[in-house]
Amino acid sequence: MSSHPDAASRSNGVPGPSVEARAKRRGRIALGIRAQLLLVLTVFLAIPWLGYEYVKELERFLRDAQERTLAGTAQAVATALHDRVPLFETNPTPLDTLPSERLSEDPTPRAGADADAPGPPEIAQILRGLSRTTARIWVVDRDQHVLARAGTLRHAPPALDAPREGSYLGRFAAWLDREALQPLYARILQQPTEDFSDERSGGSGTFGEDVEGALGGILTIARRPTADGKAVIVSAAHPIWVGDEVKGAVIVEETTNAVLAERNRAFARLFNIVLAALLIGSIALTLYASWLSTRIRRLRDEAEAAIDARGRVRGKLPGSAARDEIGDLSRSFGSALSRLTQYASYQEAMASRLSHELRTPIAVVRSSVDNLALHPLPDEVRVYIARAQEGLGRLASIITRMTEATRLEESLAEADRERFDLARVIIGCVDGYRAAYPGRVFELRVPSGEAPFFGAPDLIAQMLDKLCENAVEFAVADTPIVVALQQDETRYRIAVSNRGPALPETMQGRLFDSMVSVRAGSGDSAPHLGMGLYIVRLIAEFHGGRAIAANRTDGEGVTVSVTLPRVRAVR
Amino acid sequence: MTRRIAIVEDEPAIRENYADVLRKQGYEVAAYANRADALAAFRTRLPDLAVVDIGLRDDVDGGFDLCRELRAMSAGVPIIFLSARDSDFDVVAGLRLGADDYLTKDVSLPHLLARIAALFRRADLLAAPQASEEILERGPLCLDLKRLTASWAGKRVDLTLTEFWMVHALARFPGHVKDRDSLMREAEIVVDDSTITSHVKRIRRKFLALDPAFGCIETVYGMGYRWSGAG
Repeated sequence: MSSHPDAASRSNGVPGPSVEARAKRRGRIALGIRAQLLLVLTVFLAIPWLGYEYVKELERFLRDAQERTLAGTAQAVATALHDRVPLFETNPTPLDTLPSERLSEDPTPRAGADADAPGPPEIAQILRGLSRTTARIWVVDRDQHVLARAGTLRHAPPALDAPREGSYLGRFAAWLDREALQPLYARILQQPTEDFSDERSGGSGTFGEDVEGALGGILTIARRPTADGKAVIVSAAHPIWVGDEVKGAVIVEETTNAVLAERNRAFARLFNIVLAALLIGSIALTLYASWLSTRIRRLRDEAEAAIDARGRVRGKLPGSAARDEIGDLSRSFGSALSRLTQYASYQEAMASRLSHELRTPIAVVRSSVDNLALHPLPDEVRVYIARAQEGLGRLASIITRMTEATRLEESLAEADRERFDLARVIIGCVDGYRAAYPGRVFELRVPSGEAPFFGAPDLIAQMLDKLCENAVEFAVADTPIVVALQQDETRYRIAVSNRGPALPETMQGRLFDSMVSVRAGSGDSAPHLGMGLYIVRLIAEFHGGRAIAANRTDGEGVTVSVTLPRVRAVR
Repeated sequence: MTRRIAIVEDEPAIRENYADVLRKQGYEVAAYANRADALAAFRTRLPDLAVVDIGLRDDVDGGFDLCRELRAMSAGVPIIFLSARDSDFDVVAGLRLGADDYLTKDVSLPHLLARIAALFRRADLLAAPQASEEILERGPLCLDLKRLTASWAGKRVDLTLTEFWMVHALARFPGHVKDRDSLMREAEIVVDDSTITSHVKRIRRKFLALDPAFGCIETVYGMGYRWSGAG
């Protein structure tokens, strides 16, 4: 919230209801800028989805690569075995006769030591060289008897990253990753596990169509889930040729765990980054939106505080120095207001300028007529001079009235305040009016006793003059004009009321402005410039009070009243 | 000896009208349209009285400057400001520069002539050594009606002509309320009520400067003012 000047916040400067509250009143759903921006931000939720699609693509690519690698390995092994007739001559001891539990149960690969050699030792020899791969390699003969095997499907899971030393932020990020994100990803994604049952590990004759395809002379790649469905095994089988005959096949197998792990890591990384970006982005956007809406609200409050209920410009809009659109808006508001102020002060100063400009030509006319009057003239001509002088007198009084407000404004600046009895001033003034307006009846309602007030008695008297002048001009003949003083704990109320025409609706707020008159030309002698009530307002405001004009409750006339706060005299 | 009056006024019609009527009254009149001309003429010969407009065409405060310069040449020449400007600020500024009176252009020619005559009378009598017979005394207040000077408890109160006449109107019948119209009539000015108020305020201040307990000019709200003998 901006800080208003005290005066501004009195009636109108109080912060208005929020956008939401205003819109609710109109029966519509309202969204502040913050909510709108957050709504826009939901568009970015598509990014994780895009990332997911991307990771899936990556996985497909990795699988293809895996398959190609397996096929390559199978081909390489087969190539080494092609046309080596002696290897397939002997009828080897089938693998299933040999104990192999140790191998299949122990997930720890023992590089170089896990190539079984159930078949001819040459094959085992060859395979041993290949057993460093992550794959398991079989060599079978045409009857799908295992001649040799090397490698294992199970591998130790990669060691977890050691908790990173470093900044609190880094440690916090690691903790968050471990405690919140990884479990989340584990729910979304299939996690690779080494704990699967591998039905092929110990037996023969359980080879699937891949081997059959290879024995048929075709490189076959197959993908099959393990029996318990916990892992997927990819296998590539390549025929071994001896001459034109397929003598056996090489089968290279691997779980997709490596690919899965790679995919999951990529996914986790991507998600971490996207989440971090979204988090930072939404925090930044929320802050930005708050800043924006704060500025806009401040502008609104300033704009509302700058104009009071009667549409008068009360103060200047500070105007922002920001070089964006809001700053621009605030500046253009400010300049619009200052133009309005200029216009208002032009209007208020017009009377004084006009009178000043009129004085010189009037002086020309007056001095000429006066000169003329000094000449010996026939009586019939003197009549005209008398009329001209009367007209000049009226002009002069108009000018005097026009400048009265300006002079009052000047004298307010140096008016002396003193403690005096408000009641006595009012009684005195009304006595004066009884003498000044002999055809009128003034009814005085003043509480008995003193009404102490701290102010300028001359000005109060001048204000009463104007109030009563106004009432006299409007009052229906032979009806009393009531001048009343009321008081309560905090203020005085001086009310002057007369019977007469009601106030026109449209003028209610402007009656106390300079040169505003509701009178239709009534043709009586005194000029109506609409300065009287303006003077009342100036004096009331000088004393910290307010002037109000309202139709009487009986509908028969108008009451113009001034409330003055009772300020304790500072002695 | 004919008296010589200088009129400094930029508006030719007004200048000629004033010059005509003053000549008809037997004065010798020298009229100037701007400050430079007037000043040049004053250097060769001082007028017996000067009527000066404040705004002289483009020279917005030319009259003030001229008044200051003329006062520097002579402390005794009566100076009257005659201006369209009627703000308190201008009145105070003009009188502070040593002018004897400040009139707005609303003033009628007979009023102007009366003032000029009164100022000449005062100037003559101030120069004359003999004691005056026409004295009005009200307690500490002493008004010399011939010389148009006032004193309070023996000390001179520096009143303008307008102010002197207002004090005289009040003090002549102590206790009687003078309303604003009769004050205006007696002071031979045509101004509005608030100007009367500021005149009274200025008069009070001048007395208060000599005597902080001064309270003889009493406001009767809604009626006017009265001289209270008690003070």
